[in-house]
Amino acid sequence: MKHIIDTLHHFFVPRHSNNFNAKLLHHDFLTIYLILAILFGAGIKHIRQNSNILGYATDVTIEKLYELTNSERSKNHLNTLNYNEELAQAAREKAADMFAKDYWAHYGPTGETPWQFILGSGYQYEYAGENLAKNFVFSDGVVNAWLESTTHRENLLRKEYTDVGFAVVNGVLNGEETTLVVQIFAKPLYAKDTVAQAPQSAEPETVVKIPATQVLAYDDSPTNNSFFATYLNINVVFFAVLMIALILDFYFAMKLNLIRVRGKNLIHFMFITFVAIGTLIIIRGSIT
Amino acid sequence: MKLLIKHIKIEVKKHAFDYLLFFTAGVVFLTGLNVFRGERLLEFIILLSFVSFYIIWGIYHHIIEDSLHMKIVLEYILIGFAILFLIKVLIFP
Repeated sequence: MKHIIDTLHHFFVPRHSNNFNAKLLHHDFLTIYLILAILFGAGIKHIRQNSNILGYATDVTIEKLYELTNSERSKNHLNTLNYNEELAQAAREKAADMFAKDYWAHYGPTGETPWQFILGSGYQYEYAGENLAKNFVFSDGVVNAWLESTTHRENLLRKEYTDVGFAVVNGVLNGEETTLVVQIFAKPLYAKDTVAQAPQSAEPETVVKIPATQVLAYDDSPTNNSFFATYLNINVVFFAVLMIALILDFYFAMKLNLIRVRGKNLIHFMFITFVAIGTLIIIRGSIT
Repeated sequence: MKLLIKHIKIEVKKHAFDYLLFFTAGVVFLTGLNVFRGERLLEFIILLSFVSFYIIWGIYHHIIEDSLHMKIVLEYILIGFAILFLIKVLIFP
């Protein structure tokens, strides 16, 4: 136990054994952080190029989006939406159109409307709506952003809708690798009263399979659904350890009146805090 | 904790302008990220600008304080770029 405490002191607190600088803030350790960060980035790029383990579709999945959408509707005492393959096809077509014509909006540059994709998929609708999002890292971020926007929220919680379809598609938009999320809601023109017409026979219930993610032909790499969550957790731990070391080093240096040749811990701390808050913004992406 | 806050107050009061300048840059950085949310290239440029500002701030501050040393410059560069490369993975996943 004494050995562990001694080691922790050596790493976090300035004293004679670490030349009165917390060991975690020594140049050799800072160099290791930099090398590891570079290796992480290069390694991920290398793995992505040479195998199909990682895609750049982040952690957004149709399964999770569908689950979260219905969960929000349930919280608001609304009907659960059925996953509809025709609407999913419409969503994929819409995403493909946005990549092909390089736009990110509900209406295309040459007059394309969301409705034509729905009708094109063979779905005759009475009510329909569309939500878009791009470059989010997590599914809950997408749904939360939609819920925070009045118009998207109204769309997501509209009581008339009965069906939903999603597409999470990777491609290049305006020269940038982009992950687009298209969510299409609708109610069929001739809606069947499923409760009234439910078969009384002993036929098994039809289970609609929800694909984990939809990927178009120009990016056939599947996504790793836990990678970014793990990576983000590693970053959080790293930031936290570095900040604790900075604070302790600052505190004891002041207390012991140490005069040292080193940067300002307070500014390092502020810098890491701003970047940490910025990371939360970066992983949120944007909606339209 | 009281002692820590007291030390922080002393340090900030001693270099009020420098810290205010950095704080303003930090707010501009966060605002920029929020405005250009979802635009990966712009997000990266904003992050790179903030990292560069942090390193320049370090050099400027230690020149003013007459304590500039190569080891200090290296410290700012190492921390700045380590964080830049870590966050780059999240911007360009």
